[in-house]
Amino acid sequence: MVDTWQLVVFWALFAMMGVSALRVVTSSNVVHAALYLVVTLMGAAALYVLLLAEFVAWVQVLVYVGAIIVLMLFGLMLTRAPIGKGMFDNDQRLVAAVTAGALFGVTTWIIVDAFEGQKITLSKATGIRAESIGDVIFSSFVLPFEVISMLLLAALIGAVVIARRD
Amino acid sequence: MDFVAPKIALSGIAPEIALAATALLVLLADAFIGDRPRTLRPEHGSARPGSGILGNRWHLPLLSLIGFGAAVYLALDAWDRVDATGATTQFSGMIAVDGFSVFVKITLAVFGALTILLGHEYLVRRDLEEGEFFALVLFSVAGMMLMASSADLIVTFLALETFSIALYVLVGYQRSRLDGQEAAMKYFLLGAFSSTFFLLGIALVFGATGSTNLYGEGGITSFLATTPAADLSLLVLGAGLLIVGLGFKVAAVPFHMWTPDAYQGAPSPVTGFMAAGSKLAGFAALLRLLDVVLFPLRWDWRPLVIGIAVVTMIVGSILAVVQDDIKRMLAYSSIAHAGFVFTAVIATNDRGISGALFYLATYGLTIVGAFAIVAVLGGPEERRTRVNDFRGLFAAHPLLAGILTLLMLSLAGVPITSGFVAKLVVFGAAVEAGYTWVVVVGAIASAIAAFFYLRILVVMYMVDAEVAEEPKAVMGPLSIGVIGLSAAATLVLGLFWSPLIELAEKATFFAGP
Amino acid sequence: MNAIVDFLGGDIVVTAIVKTVVAFAALLLTTLIVVWAERKVIADMQARIGPNRWGPYGILQTLADGIKLFFKEDFRPRTADKWTFALAPVLAMVPSLLAFAIVPIGDHITIGDRRIDLIVADLNIGILYFLAMGSIGVYGVVLAGWASGSKYPLLGGIRASAQMISYEIALGLSLVPVVLAAGSLSTVDIVAAQAGSVSNVSFFNGVPVLEQIAELFSFVPNWYIWSQWPAFFIFLIAGIAETNRAPFDLPEAETELIAGFHTEYSGIRFALFFLGEYVHVVIISAMAVTLFFGGWGGPKPDFLPWIWPIGWFVFKTGLFVYLFVWLRATMPRLRYDRLMWLGWKRLIPASLVWIMVTAVVNTEGVSRNARLVVFGILFVIVLFWLGKGDPRLTGAVTPQRRRVHGPS
Repeated sequence: MVDTWQLVVFWALFAMMGVSALRVVTSSNVVHAALYLVVTLMGAAALYVLLLAEFVAWVQVLVYVGAIIVLMLFGLMLTRAPIGKGMFDNDQRLVAAVTAGALFGVTTWIIVDAFEGQKITLSKATGIRAESIGDVIFSSFVLPFEVISMLLLAALIGAVVIARRD
Repeated sequence: MDFVAPKIALSGIAPEIALAATALLVLLADAFIGDRPRTLRPEHGSARPGSGILGNRWHLPLLSLIGFGAAVYLALDAWDRVDATGATTQFSGMIAVDGFSVFVKITLAVFGALTILLGHEYLVRRDLEEGEFFALVLFSVAGMMLMASSADLIVTFLALETFSIALYVLVGYQRSRLDGQEAAMKYFLLGAFSSTFFLLGIALVFGATGSTNLYGEGGITSFLATTPAADLSLLVLGAGLLIVGLGFKVAAVPFHMWTPDAYQGAPSPVTGFMAAGSKLAGFAALLRLLDVVLFPLRWDWRPLVIGIAVVTMIVGSILAVVQDDIKRMLAYSSIAHAGFVFTAVIATNDRGISGALFYLATYGLTIVGAFAIVAVLGGPEERRTRVNDFRGLFAAHPLLAGILTLLMLSLAGVPITSGFVAKLVVFGAAVEAGYTWVVVVGAIASAIAAFFYLRILVVMYMVDAEVAEEPKAVMGPLSIGVIGLSAAATLVLGLFWSPLIELAEKATFFAGP
Repeated sequence: MNAIVDFLGGDIVVTAIVKTVVAFAALLLTTLIVVWAERKVIADMQARIGPNRWGPYGILQTLADGIKLFFKEDFRPRTADKWTFALAPVLAMVPSLLAFAIVPIGDHITIGDRRIDLIVADLNIGILYFLAMGSIGVYGVVLAGWASGSKYPLLGGIRASAQMISYEIALGLSLVPVVLAAGSLSTVDIVAAQAGSVSNVSFFNGVPVLEQIAELFSFVPNWYIWSQWPAFFIFLIAGIAETNRAPFDLPEAETELIAGFHTEYSGIRFALFFLGEYVHVVIISAMAVTLFFGGWGGPKPDFLPWIWPIGWFVFKTGLFVYLFVWLRATMPRLRYDRLMWLGWKRLIPASLVWIMVTAVVNTEGVSRNARLVVFGILFVIVLFWLGKGDPRLTGAVTPQRRRVHGPS
């Protein structure tokens, strides 16, 4: 029974994400596009929940939905960017479509090539718990973790330099 | 809680730690040591020569220099260790501690220190904030060093981003200049674009090998040793994308579009730093990746790299000839030089690697000096950087003109300069590997390139009655020192090259699986 | 019955649905009471009577208001963005409601042979979920401001979103030391970690006199308010700012912005914003109780043992809601720059320092001397920090002084 429900939810999410992802690129209103992006990202988070990766799911919500898109909207408002039909349209749709298609093809190929036939059995007990992520981050991945903090600090200083009023 | 804390040996990244810590100290000192007094008035050129350059603002550059000194010391310490015990990896195989990384780190620290010296004078004269500049230079050098010693593609990417982000900001540091902002924007957009190539490359490599680690257990090296060559197409594609991503950073054609604009718009000390450091870091990653890890795949990636090398040398040289602005011209010349280094990469032999190291070290020392001269002659907004603005330089500043001549000759690869020796070494490596025709192309490109270096020389020595404004050098002790050092290095390494080459050869050993 | 249960996926799913419905209903009911209580309390503080017409002591006043709003004309400005305008109020309320899922309101009850925990979902990463919901809550405000298509809502929306983004950081950071101390992101575990007596805390073990003094206080429960009081105050301030209530109610500053981001809203949509704010107040109060005041913990007599935890929880939460009301009746509104100054220059650094302190103190094997050193450093930092004095507070900033920093 559970499997059936999982499949139903998966396909529902698939439809939702597909439609909203299309609307992100076809919508002529930037704010609407951003909102559709939110729907897409939330769908991804829901997929993670479906895979019992709760930590990743909520980090996805917190970072992408709660921070990045909010900042995008905030930026749109603060800069009084022209919001309306046709403002952000250009004639590169075909190129964009081809690029996106190629990227999609390549990604699909990698995933199929790399993980074909592998099956991961999920259970609540073996689901990705926050502790196990912490263990990995602070043992084998401790260096990338520290380097990221340096990267973010450099970015922060850069943002201050650029934004400083003098 | 069955968490086992990893054993962490810090010697591999001690220089980076020193630099990052210094950057934090610089920021703290900048924030807490009161209002920064303005020792010079903003009006450019009215400065009393030699006075007040150090003034009350000496503590930040001094701190930064101490940081670089500490980095060099720690790198030498790591050298002693690897010399005694052999190359190893640290941080669960994320960091390679070997002679190669140590050599690159020391060179980078020298470039960084020179940038600090130049930057200090440049900023004080233009009345710009200093703390963030030094911090960003320190962070970017730390990132570049990590590039050199990273043994995991994730770390490589993060290091790449660290120094790139710092450089984007440094390029646009003088915000009153519109062309600087434009340059920063272009550099940022294209750099972000290239990062996505690199990331996709990592994804492909991971998909192919199941690991991002270069040397560790189950890493790429051991994967290549155990897998038949038939199903490697994904890995080759991934490697191609990694080359593209790094090609942006070293400004190889066709990924060079950002270079002229970024080099022109950036403050000259930053431009010199980019030309020297960014190139060295990018090539360090490329050398480790291609010549060491993907060595078994060399027949697959070599055609692509040869293509890049040939196109880069030719296009860089030809486009440099038609430039009117000396910073743009040096930008195209740096593209051509990237092509010359690529000939060492395709050689895939020890001589190629040590040759590339020697080339990048000497090129960096020369180009920093060249941009220092541009900085002192350019005026407050660096508007006087056209070739014609150098008319009559010999009459106005004979010594400066002489040094510029030396540096230009070195860039052109004329004997008794370091540039000549460097070209000889990399071309020799390529010939040894059997790529004589690439070397012939390189020689042709050098000949083309010589034309524009000579053009500057001709303009400099011409005494023209119609000079609208004589070139005026505004320089303090720091600029003079850096220019002198650069000239001395160019000349000395052109005459007595063997110690440095031997050092580079000695450094050519890598961590293994 | 069993067929339906099976179709829905068995016991677990049915329990979850029932829990959700009950929690939702209870929360809405609480909100109605809170709105009424606020009006009564404020009226009392201002020597007025307050609502007294509908029901005993006017307790049905909120319901009446709700019905009135429901039947009012649903006005939408011509320049408004239709769908976003309709979406915003929902987004303002739903995340707060959802956040309630991870608040444990009691221990557990047993029906038949089935143990039911009195929490909608004991997530392994509950705190993260709470923060995620808080961050989604910003959307309601931002979109309301933008979609209204007029200037005061836009200004209010920008202000509100800036404020919420800024204080979200402090809020999140203030939770980190609690998580460090409890060693878990789960709210149930955090409540469990606060059980027992404060004298069990081994902080003063081995210090001659202090050890005995600590023993005297063995009746005091081991709530995190004692060991984590700086985190608590940061949490409380940031939480109040997150709800956009006095003294941080700048987004709705009547004198400047009419009603801020919901100026153009009326009828049921306004009611949703209104409701959302009070749900948010209840959530922040409940989280404060859960994280710092032992959650549902308290004396548990034998009579009806399962109801006492719920009673304690409701009582403690009620106190916090009262605090919210009290603050609104007492505090004047902050100026915008001071709001940002407080958030970025005081709360965020303070919480970062406190995280560091907690991390060091919590590490096993850290000697007493090391702890003392940590506190010494903290003391110096605090002294320095207080002594530095921001010129904005002392009014020392003058245009002349500022120009020193700003060349050309």
